This record gives sequence, structure tokens and C-alpha cells, in this order.
Amino acid sequence: MSSAVIFPAQPEQILKGLGKLWTSLGQEEKQQGKPTVLRACAMTLIVATDDPDGGFAASQTISELMREHPSRGIVLAVSEQAEHGLEARVLAQCWKPFGKAQQICCEQIEITARPDSWPNVGPTLVGLIAADLPVIFWCRHSAALNASATKEQKAGLEAVLSLATKTIIDSKGEDPGRTFELLTKWRNRGRVTADLEWTRLTQWREPIANIFDNPCRENKFSSFHKIEVVHGGDRPGACALYAGGWLSAPYKAEVTFTKAPGEDSGLARITLRSDSEQIDFERKGECMTLRSTNGRERKYSYKDASVDALMTEELAVLGQDAAFDAAFARAQELWNG
Amino acid sequence: MSVLVQPVPEVNPLQDALRFERRVPPCAIVIFGASGDLSKRKLLPALYRLFYERRIPPNFAVVGSSRTPLSDDEFRERMKDSVKKFLEDAPFDEDIWTSFAQSLFYVPGDLNNPASYDDIRNKLDEIEKAHQTAGNVLFYLSTQPSYYAEAVLALGEHGLNRGNGWRRVIIEKPFGHDLQSARKLNDEIHKVFDESAVYRIDHYLGKETVQNILAFRFGNGIFEPLWNRRYIDHVQITAAESIGVEGRGGYYQEAGALRDMIQNHLSQVMATIAMEPPTVFDANNVRDERAKLLRAVRIMKPEDVEKFAVAGQYGPAKVGGQDVPGFRQEQSVDPDSQTDTYAAVTFYIDNWRWADIPFYIRTGKRLPKRVTDIAIQFQAPPLGLFKQETKGGLREVRPNLLVLRIQPEEGISLRFLSKSPGSGMRVRPVSMDFNYGSSFGERTPTAYETLLLDAMAGDPTLYTRQDMVEASWQIVQPILDVWAHSKFDFPNYPAGSWGPKASDEMLARQGHVWRIP
Repeated sequence: MSSAVIFPAQPEQILKGLGKLWTSLGQEEKQQGKPTVLRACAMTLIVATDDPDGGFAASQTISELMREHPSRGIVLAVSEQAEHGLEARVLAQCWKPFGKAQQICCEQIEITARPDSWPNVGPTLVGLIAADLPVIFWCRHSAALNASATKEQKAGLEAVLSLATKTIIDSKGEDPGRTFELLTKWRNRGRVTADLEWTRLTQWREPIANIFDNPCRENKFSSFHKIEVVHGGDRPGACALYAGGWLSAPYKAEVTFTKAPGEDSGLARITLRSDSEQIDFERKGECMTLRSTNGRERKYSYKDASVDALMTEELAVLGQDAAFDAAFARAQELWNG
Repeated sequence: MSVLVQPVPEVNPLQDALRFERRVPPCAIVIFGASGDLSKRKLLPALYRLFYERRIPPNFAVVGSSRTPLSDDEFRERMKDSVKKFLEDAPFDEDIWTSFAQSLFYVPGDLNNPASYDDIRNKLDEIEKAHQTAGNVLFYLSTQPSYYAEAVLALGEHGLNRGNGWRRVIIEKPFGHDLQSARKLNDEIHKVFDESAVYRIDHYLGKETVQNILAFRFGNGIFEPLWNRRYIDHVQITAAESIGVEGRGGYYQEAGALRDMIQNHLSQVMATIAMEPPTVFDANNVRDERAKLLRAVRIMKPEDVEKFAVAGQYGPAKVGGQDVPGFRQEQSVDPDSQTDTYAAVTFYIDNWRWADIPFYIRTGKRLPKRVTDIAIQFQAPPLGLFKQETKGGLREVRPNLLVLRIQPEEGISLRFLSKSPGSGMRVRPVSMDFNYGSSFGERTPTAYETLLLDAMAGDPTLYTRQDMVEASWQIVQPILDVWAHSKFDFPNYPAGSWGPKASDEMLARQGHVWRIP
């Protein structure tokens, strides 16, 4: 269910549109004589995007995320196609859990801005933020994150950034140097930041960490002084650098990056070497194998995490992330050689 | 003087509590009664699922033991079939199973045969070396209750209660069949295991929504000030089942609803609802408060039992167009059985917070639907300013009701009154709903997953302690004693109904009515 275009996109007009939307959803409830709609909101999630689909994919992701992180979703699509400088539409994203009579609904606001209007979006967003709840900014606007971003794009990005409790980017396929530069700039200003390339590592990090929990293990983690990260692509991406950074941060182990044969991107293998043991974590298809020269082999399920799954994990971590902070600092050192 | 300095174990710098699941130490789990129903339906599927989700450590092993002669491979095959069949809301992965199955072992043996325990010890020694389980062992007694004491004593005689690591034992319900037998069983177990190593399982406490009661009460500031006799009128706890005894007639005939549900699960739920806040959220403090609450429950005098407790047994009826047999017509049930398939009890908690507030608990088989919930009925406003709009006209307002739903639609709802739109000041009840499953879309772990993981991690918060078990037997014992000498006019409720009339009358005497969940 969605509204007609709201123009001018002023907060009062948009909130009025949302009010009407809930009233119409309530009509059904009145007819059926029982609660049919449950409104849920735990945060404001702003997604800025320059996707050519006008924010459709971002909107879909918000509707997936609402199952675990119900939010007031604001999709800010920056497009030359916007008829007016800044216009809005409101809609409700609903889902009905299997076998249940009641729908769970989250409200969503879609704002379309022409590139030159983007820097002026701040006052509109301020009025639309759900009170007393965290504001998460997920920047999918790749041009604005680029070193060659225009003045308007930079100003637009700043307008949203200033409202956010936490800012999330996805540097997959991007130049790690640029990613580190951008994140460092934001972090130096006290912003909480996240990169989904780090989130992708959780599936690797957890089994690796767990093997060093065993008190009987002869070779402790500190004895593994060489780390090899085997990655797809010609150069290590942020994910590989974070992996190296994470593993070498505690004891400054030596890290080497090796290009994996084949075209597959992402991580292919992580090897830890001590004087008497080598441990490999190798990923092939949907299976990750742990192999140790001192022990047996063990297989885990591994599935490439969807963006929805990555965001679900990231939205659960709203404050400082000490592990990421340490890995990030060390990854920068590795990148800078 | 020389000082012996113990090396400080290296802290794992790779752990990330923010994103990783809770860590569990390496261990071996020995399941006695491994070919039984509980292992097949609950334990192995739960362990496989934990392995699939990488929630148990790489260094773990399961040793199944029962009388059926099986090899390791035969046991693995059988368990594979069971896991495939009984895995709830989760996929089965062949590769992962192969990896999991490497950690499954089987030792055939009889609990009465001393040689069986030697075989288990030998197997555990092998596993400790090969799988680096650090000598940690969790014994799971999934056998007939009559073997509990014998098995535990034999574990002690064969030195299996001590080793290089910790040793713990999980014991399934029923823990005794009355107060005396529960005490005796505790004494026997304590000859071998310290209380801190004894994990008495009550799978109700492992349910996410029962745990959520604690989060709801003590994580929010707005309810606790109202959580007492000044604002609450009474509490109703309902655990209804629509099915009958389903082939367990023989067992059920000996147990009955009061023993099977109220003595353990529902008294623990009542304790969770009514306990005082712990000073610290840890196992001992939480369990201290639960035990304290159970000890505060008023013990009925024999002459009060008729007034405060109702027994029922279902008779045959037509339900949904089908003939449903009465309890006495069920397989392996005595045609003159005096077993209660329904029990309703009014408890009073004699403490500062709850004095004179009735806690009504009912449970039964062949009731209209499967539902478990707790309803907190608040007191009506002191002055009836508004009339409530109903289909039958206007009537006095119904008080606020807070319902904590445990199954099947887990959640919390609060009923309050709101003005009906339009002119005039008429009010109608509306419900503010929190649906657990839909608010947290992820799959919730089964009670056995939670409880097994807790036992491995050494967290007994959700397990019942000796004093809790004995206190809960103490509160039902007078009822059991009186009922044992009563001759009931059974059956007294037809299958598919909400129980005997006497149960309604029990509440009516206090000016209350059972709600229809």
C-alpha cells in the first residue's frame, strides 16, 4: 500500500501521508473486528542510493530487514529523473508470519531527489527521524563515496551523515585505499562506521577463533607467526586486508597475501603457520574445511551471505566494535606496507 | 621460600562477543538410553543443529549407550535417520552430517552390568586423546527414572564422576514420584556428584518465552512497580493440550496431570512469574529467588484440598465430527483408572508481595486446544467511570489483562481500554501485542538446544536445583496424598471441553472465572 507523490517533500506533509496510511490499514481491522496490523519500529534506517532502479533494491532489502530490525525506512534515491527537485511517497511494508492472522507493518518513506537537491535534504530528514531511536545510515550511493565525487554529492552525503548514529558502507569491489581513507576521515570525527566487507568475515572468523578456545591445544594462537590470506582478484580487497589485520593485530604476525587461481572473488583460504603446525581454512563452494597438520579435518557449511543477512548482522551492532577497530587499524598498516 | 606460579592460560584474542555465539568448552556427552525416543526426537537433532550452527566446539564427541547391540556406524546410521526426521525448522546437510558423525560413538551396555561402565570409561579415554575433549564429560540420563540412582551410583563406583576435566550429569524428569522419593534420589546422587554438577532438566524453563519472562519483568522499569498484590487481582496459568495420552497411557496412568505438569513445569513457571528480582543475573541468584518463592507457597491442609484443587479425567466425546475415546478407553489404561488427566489448583504465596493473591494453575489433556499462557489480571480502576461497549450492550469495564503466551503463538499482549471513536464516552478493549516470532524473525532455538548448550557451558540458570525440586514437591504433596485416598466420579469432563465444572466453581468461589485462552 503506498501513497501518491507528496510534493513539496516537507516533513509535515510526509508525516500526514503516513498518518493516512495507518488509518486506512486500520479500516481493515475495524471490518474484521480483531487486530490485523501490528506497527513496529526500532530505528530509523536511511538508505541513500544511486542505483538506476530508483531505490527498488534498497526498498526490498528494508522489507527483508524488518523481520529482525523493524524500522522507519527512508530510501533516498538520487536521480536525474526526479520530476520535482525533491519529492516523496509513503508506503507500508507488511508481512504476515506463517500461520498468523496479524500482519507486521513498517512504514517507509521514499524520497527522490535530483542531484542538485540532495544537499538540501537534511532539514526534511531531520523532521522524519523516529524519535528517541537510533539512526542508521546505509550509503549505497557509490558515486558519492568515490574520490571523484561532485561537490553536491559530498554535501549531500554530509547532510545525511550528520544525522546518523552509525554509517554503513559496502566496499566490495572498491579500492581499499579509498575505503580506508574515507572511513578514517569519518572515524576521526567520532562517527561509528562499518564496512560490510568486515561483516562478510564473520563466517571465517568464528570457526578460526573457536579452535583457540581449547585449553588442551598445544599450539596457542600466539605461536602462529605467519598468516597467509589467499584471495580472489588481482589485489587483496578490503575483506582480505581485514582478515590479515584481524589475525595479525594481537601479536603482529607476518601476513602475506596470495592471489587464488581462478576468477572467483572473495577469500579462498586462510593459513596459519607456527613452527610445528599449519592450520588451513579453505572454502570450496558451500563448504569450508578446517585442516590441521596436527589434527583431524572438519567441515562447516558456508554460504555467501546475502546483503540482507550482512545488514541484519550489522544492525545488531549499534555501538563501537572493538574487534573491527583493531582489525581496521592493522589492515591500514598492511595496506600502507 | 619458593612460590609455585601457575601459568596463566592464554586469553583467546580472536574471540568477539559482539558477533560470535557464546563459547562452550570442549567436552564429551554420554547419553544413557541412546536408542530411546528422547534421544531420537530431541537430543540428537538438537546436537546436530548446534553443530550445524557452529555453536559447539570442534572438540566434542557424543557417546551413545543402551542395551541395543550396535556398532558406531550402525548408531550413526540410526541417528542420521532420526535427525532427518525430527529436525525442526532446519535443513539437513549431508556433508555437515558426515563431519558431525565422526564425533558420534556407541557403547552397547546394560546399566545393571558393571562391565558397561568400564567400556564407557575406555571409550572416554580414547576420545579424550583423539578429540582433545579436555576430560570434560556430560552424562545425560535419558533412561527410565527407576534407573537414575543406580546409574549415578555406578558412575561413582567406576570413577567416572572424576577425571581430568569437569563431570556433570543431566537428569530428566520426573525427579522422584513424591517428596520422599525425590529426597532419596537427591541423597543418592549427592553421594557421587556435588549439587553444582547436577543438572535437572525442565524443558519448559528452556523455552525462549519462559526466559523472556525474566527479561520482560526485570529488563523493563514500567511493569515491576505494578507487579504485586496492590495492583494485581489474580494470576491464571494454563497449559492445555488437545491430544490425549498418545500411546503413553501406561506411564501417564502412574503420573497424572498434577505430577506430570504442575509439580515441575508449571510450578517453575509460577516461580518465574512471581519471584523477587535477583540482585545479580547469575545462576545462583536466579535459582535462589525461584526456590525462595516456591518455599513461600502456602502448603495446603488436607481439609483444604477439596476447596483449592480439582481433579478431572476426560471421557469419550465427538470432537470435530470424530469419536474420541475417554481416558479409560485408551490403550494400557485401567478401565477404572482414577488418574487425573486434568488438574487445577489455587496456590497462595505467603510473602509480602503476593499475600492473598490467588494463582490459579490448570493443565489437562483433551482440552479444546493446545495452548500455554500466563494471564495477569490487574485490578479494576477504583471508580467505574466508563461503561464498556459490547455486542450485548454496555457493561462495567473489564480490567487490564497482561497475557504472556508461551505456546503456540509466543508473545505478550496487554489489554487496555480505549475510547470508541465518535461522540459519547464509550470504551472498548484493545490489545497491544508483541509477537515474539515475528518481532525476531530468526529461528528460535529449541528448548533442548538451549539447555544442552547451557549444561556444556556450565550455566545451570535454567535447570532446577535440589531445593527447588523439593519445594515444588512439597506444595503438591498434600494434594497427592488426599487424591490417593479419594474415589473420584470419573470421567467428569468430555474430551474437547475446558475441564470439569468443579474447576469453574473453584474460581467462582473467589469471584473469578477462567479466561478462554
